[in-house]
Amino acid sequence: MDGTAKISVDPITLEIIRHGLVAIPNEIDANITRTAFSPLVYEYKDFATGLVDPEGRLIAQGSGSIPIFVANALGNAVRDGLDIYGAEHIHAGDIIISNHAGTLGQHLNNVVMYSPIFADENEADLFGFMCVLVHWIDIGGGAVGSCSATDTTDIFQEGIQYRTVKLWNRGVRNDELYRIVEYNTRFPAMVLGDLDAQLAGTLAGHDKVRALVDRYGAKTVRAAIEAIWDQSEAVARDAVRALPDGVWRAESFLDDDGIDGSPVPVGIEVRIDGDRMRIDFSGLGKELRGPLNSGVLGGAYPAARIAFKILTAPDEPANEGCFRPLEIVIPDGTFLSAGPTAPMGLYSATLPTVIDTIVRAVGAAAPQVAAGGHHGSFCAHWFFGKDPATGELFQQLDTGHGGWGATAGSDGSGPFKTMAHGDTLDVPVEVQEALNPLLVESIALRTDSAGDGASRGGLGTEKVVRAMADCQVSVQIDRTKCTPWGLDGGVDGEPGDAFAEPVDGDAWRVLKGTISLKQGDRFRLKTGGGGGFGRPVDRDPARVAADVAGGYISRSRAEAVYGVILDEKGGVDVGATDAARAAWRL
Amino acid sequence: MALIFAVDTGGTFTDIAAFDLDTGDVSYAKALTTYGDLVDGVMQCVEEAGADLCDALLAKHGTTLVINTLLQRNGARAALVTTKGFRDTLELGRGNRTSPFRIDYRRTPPLIPRELRFEIDERIHGRGDDLRAPDPAEVDALADRIAALGVDAVAISFVNGYLDDSHEAFVAARLRERLPDTYITAGTELTREWYEYERCCTAAANAVAGPRMSTYTRRLENRLAEAGFGRTLYMMGSNGGVLSVDRTLREPISLIESGPVGGCIGAGAYGEALGLPNLIAFDMGGTTAKCAVIRDGQFNLHSPYFVGGYGAGFPIRGSVVDIVEVGAGGGSIAWVDDAGRLNVGPRSAGSDPGPVAFGRGGTEPTVTDANLIVGRIGADVFLGGGLDLDLDAARAAVSDKVTAPLGLDEQPVETTADGILQIATVSMTNAIRQITVERGYDPRDFGLFVFGGSGPIYAAALARELSISEVVIPPEPGNFSAVGMLLADARLDSARTMVLDLDAQALAQMASAFEETGRYAVETLGREVEGADVTLSRSIDMRYRGQKHTFTVPLDGIPDDIGALRIAFETYYRNRFGHSDGTAPIEIVGIHVSAYARTAKPDLARLRRPVIEGPAEVRHRPVYFGGDGGWVDAPVYRRDALPSGFEAEGPLVIEEYGSTTVVGAGDLCRIGDLGEIRISIGD
Repeated sequence: MDGTAKISVDPITLEIIRHGLVAIPNEIDANITRTAFSPLVYEYKDFATGLVDPEGRLIAQGSGSIPIFVANALGNAVRDGLDIYGAEHIHAGDIIISNHAGTLGQHLNNVVMYSPIFADENEADLFGFMCVLVHWIDIGGGAVGSCSATDTTDIFQEGIQYRTVKLWNRGVRNDELYRIVEYNTRFPAMVLGDLDAQLAGTLAGHDKVRALVDRYGAKTVRAAIEAIWDQSEAVARDAVRALPDGVWRAESFLDDDGIDGSPVPVGIEVRIDGDRMRIDFSGLGKELRGPLNSGVLGGAYPAARIAFKILTAPDEPANEGCFRPLEIVIPDGTFLSAGPTAPMGLYSATLPTVIDTIVRAVGAAAPQVAAGGHHGSFCAHWFFGKDPATGELFQQLDTGHGGWGATAGSDGSGPFKTMAHGDTLDVPVEVQEALNPLLVESIALRTDSAGDGASRGGLGTEKVVRAMADCQVSVQIDRTKCTPWGLDGGVDGEPGDAFAEPVDGDAWRVLKGTISLKQGDRFRLKTGGGGGFGRPVDRDPARVAADVAGGYISRSRAEAVYGVILDEKGGVDVGATDAARAAWRL
Repeated sequence: MALIFAVDTGGTFTDIAAFDLDTGDVSYAKALTTYGDLVDGVMQCVEEAGADLCDALLAKHGTTLVINTLLQRNGARAALVTTKGFRDTLELGRGNRTSPFRIDYRRTPPLIPRELRFEIDERIHGRGDDLRAPDPAEVDALADRIAALGVDAVAISFVNGYLDDSHEAFVAARLRERLPDTYITAGTELTREWYEYERCCTAAANAVAGPRMSTYTRRLENRLAEAGFGRTLYMMGSNGGVLSVDRTLREPISLIESGPVGGCIGAGAYGEALGLPNLIAFDMGGTTAKCAVIRDGQFNLHSPYFVGGYGAGFPIRGSVVDIVEVGAGGGSIAWVDDAGRLNVGPRSAGSDPGPVAFGRGGTEPTVTDANLIVGRIGADVFLGGGLDLDLDAARAAVSDKVTAPLGLDEQPVETTADGILQIATVSMTNAIRQITVERGYDPRDFGLFVFGGSGPIYAAALARELSISEVVIPPEPGNFSAVGMLLADARLDSARTMVLDLDAQALAQMASAFEETGRYAVETLGREVEGADVTLSRSIDMRYRGQKHTFTVPLDGIPDDIGALRIAFETYYRNRFGHSDGTAPIEIVGIHVSAYARTAKPDLARLRRPVIEGPAEVRHRPVYFGGDGGWVDAPVYRRDALPSGFEAEGPLVIEEYGSTTVVGAGDLCRIGDLGEIRISIGD
């Protein structure tokens, strides 16, 4: 209740304004889902909606937004706009876009659009900006989809940059810029369709915020926002205070950058001091030659903020106040603080492992937040080529979902996508097949892929796709060498893997790269299982028997790893199990 | 005498509305829902109403049995038969996590466990090619295996079955033959829409609910027969139509929102009679508030419906009324969190212990307590005086649990109580925004139609908040679900996903699909409703190629003109989004057929209670209106003393059994021809 003293707006009006502010980006979120053209937007939900103040500080963000954008990609774009134009040259009716790698630090597909909201008719009182980020499915560059290649070596190979340009100027459409957009994408109809949805969302959000400000008055709404930030800050500080003081470290690594083939270190140090947390990224590997880089605002900030939220206030709506207790330390020139021309096509692929490692560092000291490692890889597999049925280009982007880590009290969950994802939906097999010349032969849980333990990890999956026409598939898988770790005696999960299986030749492994498939060839993707928690020998034998009955683990593994001997009907042979386990426990 | 009656089994009460076609008398009664055996509650209710079933022509019944069976997981032990390679579809879901920062987020477990999920080596491709037909020998071997497991039900769901149901039909027939005592259901018998996970969940849910629903329905039929009922029993479907017992037994999943839909039908019927085609139906009870959109007398259907909520539940494909629900009801608890923020709900004190003022052991202040403090509910009139409310206890609870933690000690308690009500109002308006704005409608284009025991208190305030100018409160708002069921016709909806470019070939394919589904619907309803004249309405879903959002074009007949379809789509698109593209390719995504058969039903004018003769007694009591309004000595009317044509300007209160209506200053209140309360919201 520390925050109440500062509140100058009465607590009831405050709650009413809070409901209003949170509802606006969610309404726009629903609007964009309904009107977007590409499945990447409307199913996978690769977009974010939000409202920032005149300094780019986050007021409210749609709850369906992908966590990667919680780091305030929206505000970063706005700050660049304020630097370039100055607030005095941003006018009512302006619509500004930016995807500039040097400021946003993410792949160029992420285009932020925003519009200023003035509290008065004279444009004297700038209240904030309504922002919508949408992943444009193609913005040129060397590869279909712009960010699908695993071997780009600078940002210019990954598409066109629109650094802070006005798409609309005082309500007048900039046709020249629209033409540039149209002629720098392989899929103009879809990109312009998504852009229309993005624009409609930005304008509608602008009007709703304006109506709220008109009703309660800019002064009251600003006071409410300050109070909302303070309250979120107080919740986060209480949560940090509940974590043990000290300096906590953890290390892991990425397989490689897609080009050099050597492991990339992920060294994390977390210092907890009372109600403050400092995440230090000094132990990260250097900027990479391949496209797994991100800038500090697009990489280090999202990773640290997502981990911080997981560890502190997972249910608190995201805003600027949530992150006030968090300090981020990072030297220049790491893969999360790369320079403005570094390749960033796959910028987000490193984040799950970085977040996982931060959680691991704190979890080692705080059992209540500890979990085994999760599969930690996007497992992106991106089919593209010419569809013989239509004669047109097709592309089908999917990511894998795998097992999550076990906690002291419960088995790992999943299969889900990674810690960098949220309410992102797979494209159904029936839709994939209807729209593309592909046959999905199976998607199944991988028996014995979970990390064993007193609580076991979640299972990984195995997916097999057959090409019904010649095409290409771009693959990006990580965490095959740094397996999803077990904790406290728990076993590591099985890592992911992927193979091309030509119809007339031997199968071969492909983890990062773009390969060609002939009609009839198969692509097989295995995703990793989550790490276990506690020793397998301490798992309740009845639960092991249930796992065998469901085929989650094999009978032989039950015996070999858990020391659980089953009778013919699948029940626990208590005597044999006790004997087997007694020997191990010594 | 000829009687028709409807019984609605809800969470707390079972309600009946019985209408005598000869005398025009309508009677209502309530009994507590009996969780041991729900049929007991229904029969008690029938008895309470004094209905003689020997005279009854028609019975209609809504029940929460299906949704509760699925939520409480106490349905049948079922097996699943699916396509080779897709045994885990039911468990994998869509890979999403609705709480992105919760490391321990998980969904509710799949309805059918992995050891009971089996594969058949069959396959239809997503573009329609039949790659592999099921092998009879494999099906027979599987039947033997399932027989040995002792399951009560089997669900069948194959990938791409929506395009071609022949494989599912073959396997279902074969399993029915070999497992005659097992409840067997195929996903494509329930829905022909795409998305394999959603269809698989639908089939699984139907199998799990099937045996229990069959037992219940048969027992209900028998008990009614014993009581002398010799005519047809219909069950209330989530699409707003009633269905026969036979169809209920085949597709119990059609009853998933069997209760709430009653109110929507009623709202549609009143809207039509009153010349208000566009309404937002708003229903507030003890624990939640629900809202739905009604346009041209029809409510929208929505798919998928999530059992257990979007957060962790599972989807059902089908024709379910599109309802948004929010945890704000009369029993919702007001509380202050650790960060000093005032919250209302979603926890509810329910009816036990209930609000503090009930004096039954409740200690946490609720919305009802707040309403009592500000005088919107009278201390002596709750449930017709059957329950005395304790105002002092309510004031103390709000003071201690809300005012003090918020640091508002220097303010009178009614300010806090009013704040609690304002926050409840905001969460209800957000629900209404969700059902309108997020679906692309402007709430200002609608009237607000309010019912449920707790709804009419807020009706005018909600309308003001949403800039809605007209409010309607029907007679019997507390029994309105049962009233709505009395008005329901028999209805059957079929939807089929067929993704086609808009061209001549597509027209031919659609025509044959329309004919097939139409024929099935006419036959089915013809069997269900004796001597029925079945009417069909058809529509198609269209979109720009690749876009998700589809527009449903209503059709006069089976379409034969591509140009007309294109114009209809583009006109709609321009109206909605301000632009359209005359060259972009348009796709057909699916077709819908709705079939209706009318059943006997009462005249709306006769649903109100008789007006008490003589001058209406008007009392006064202080009511707090907040803000500049403050305390007002407001007139309090008895609703059954107000004749049609009565008019008065707010502030005022109208009381009736089970419900209270509050009219604010500047709002004009009038009693309409059907006995409905109309409120025009002032500027």
